[in-house]
Amino acid sequence: MDVLLNVAQGFGVALQPINLLYCFIGVFIGTLVGVLPGIGPISAMSLLLPVTLSGTPESGIIMMAGIYYGSMYGGSTTSILVNIPGEAASVVTCIDGHQMAKQGRAGPALGISALGSFIAGTFSLVALMLIAPSLANVAIAFGPAEYFSLMVLGLVVLTFLTQGSMAKALLMACIGIVLGLIGLDSITAQPRLTFGRMELIDGIGLVPVVMGLFGIAEVLFNTEQVIKRDIINAKITQLLPSKADWKASAGPVARGTILGFFLGILPGGGAVVASFASYALEKRLSRTPERFGNGAIEGVAGPESANNAAAGGAFIPLMTLGIPPNVVMALLLGAFVIHGLQPGPLLITQNPGLFWGIVASMYIGNVMLLVLNLPLIGMWVQLLKLPYNILFPLIILFTIIGVYCSSNNVFDVYVMIAFGVIGYFMRKLGYEPAPLVLAFVLGPMLENNLRKSLILSQGDLFTFVQRPISAACLALAVVLLVGPLLPSLRKKRELVALDEGA
Amino acid sequence: MNGQTKAQGKLNNSELWGGLIGLALGVFVIWSGLKLKLGSINDPGSGYVLFYTGLLMCVFAATIIVAAITEGGPTFGSRWEDTRWTKPLLVIACLTAFAFALDPLGFLLSAIPLMVLLLRVIDPVRWSLTIPLAVLTPLGVWWVLKRALLIQLPSGIFEIG
Repeated sequence: MDVLLNVAQGFGVALQPINLLYCFIGVFIGTLVGVLPGIGPISAMSLLLPVTLSGTPESGIIMMAGIYYGSMYGGSTTSILVNIPGEAASVVTCIDGHQMAKQGRAGPALGISALGSFIAGTFSLVALMLIAPSLANVAIAFGPAEYFSLMVLGLVVLTFLTQGSMAKALLMACIGIVLGLIGLDSITAQPRLTFGRMELIDGIGLVPVVMGLFGIAEVLFNTEQVIKRDIINAKITQLLPSKADWKASAGPVARGTILGFFLGILPGGGAVVASFASYALEKRLSRTPERFGNGAIEGVAGPESANNAAAGGAFIPLMTLGIPPNVVMALLLGAFVIHGLQPGPLLITQNPGLFWGIVASMYIGNVMLLVLNLPLIGMWVQLLKLPYNILFPLIILFTIIGVYCSSNNVFDVYVMIAFGVIGYFMRKLGYEPAPLVLAFVLGPMLENNLRKSLILSQGDLFTFVQRPISAACLALAVVLLVGPLLPSLRKKRELVALDEGA
Repeated sequence: MNGQTKAQGKLNNSELWGGLIGLALGVFVIWSGLKLKLGSINDPGSGYVLFYTGLLMCVFAATIIVAAITEGGPTFGSRWEDTRWTKPLLVIACLTAFAFALDPLGFLLSAIPLMVLLLRVIDPVRWSLTIPLAVLTPLGVWWVLKRALLIQLPSGIFEIG
């Protein structure tokens, strides 16, 4: 009953005209960046972070959340029609989605992708409503040791799932922690690594770092290649899947939804991991695995449902523990902090309107996305024809403006350009930026909780293993760190490793 | 690594240089941590986490270096093989010039030339489209920010914008 009352309160907030407008802007921009390759939800959210300042916290966060789950819908369109993933979570959709389009079945592929996403998105919202308040009640009992261990686990999971060498990913995570510690020490107020520059006293901003590493670096990386687009030009008809399509897709949608939701909750996990895991699961369960890669609708339905369910699940650790499980959620945390709010166990009780308003807006956003992605598909196809040589300069200009507006400081533009160049060379040398960014956000929290735990326990390191949740997190982190040393586990990691970027 | 030229323990091994840069950064972080004071385990100081993070960085960098020496790694040349490497270089040069010009010249006087350069450098857009795009986009953005959102972009020494 309480849940229903809370949801009613949430709809009261979400249905306010201004919040409806922000929700629409969010899902529209989300679909747009999802459709456009080369710019993902991270770049778009960092670009629009300053805009959230002009409205209420509810409006700003509703819009930011809309961009995230909206991009999950939009990404599939590009994967299916152009064979280029619009964003990282849609990589796997290219495999069977584009094959279906080539066989003249672009309509059912787009249809099942949007409808599967809707079902998964709705399920993850119901689960978020039911799980988040209970988890928040449990999380109130968490001490600094638990928070520290959870953050360590989150970073280790992300480095484990990052493509390529784990040593490189761990090195990136360490560099992220160091960058996050630049500025005044939160306990002693001593300046650290500021090199005497006043601009660094408050630390480096998240927006210039993310925009540089993901926005500018992505453009630099793309300019060195001639991007060819194989757009399906045939008219897209019959978007609704047939009975046979539904029969084949029902299982993958259900499995993808549940798998995606739980992978989304895991620290370090997220939509990209979920889509890959779902594809692998469907292929393994299929009686005809040879159809995968040749236009199997299950290969579209499962991953697309999984990435949307994961997008919903990822809100749980952020809202209940205050720990962002991935880079996108780290940006959302930034939006909360800008408005003077701290997500965590007390958010639901202290700001019920905000929490339930965001949840309710996601229901509304999912319906909006269904309308945007099915009847308006033709509009997105036209957008795909925008040439890159015009798109890239525009992206650069907008990132510069976005960074400047986030702080009204030219220094941040320099930081962004520097990180753009660093990010480009990192990508060329096989160093992934995702662990760096997550560690950058978690670094100050991680340090704070470590120091608090040591002060409270009077320097007793056993405090981290005496508390069961903390011990379990650390044990899992050790397994994941040691695992890749074993040849069999190394092979498995290489199979699931992925690029968390974009 | 297929098709890429591998170098083992040679100076053009890009993996080796990546590791060495990581090692140098790690040493610098350790030194910074020590300078900031470590404190004790009962009461960790400002440099405590930095110091241990620096140590971890050195360990991971050393792992990368050892792998680069024993297993080899792609050469710098192979990393940029079959790519239009001059394009990102030119974009970086444009962005650096823009960064230097932004404060003294202001947003409009630096963004318009930046757009002209980018539109002509990446994959040349015809002049009849370049000029209106390069002028109207920064002008439009400047107008929206200044009038609608009341955000003042840098106006430079000429106070344009």
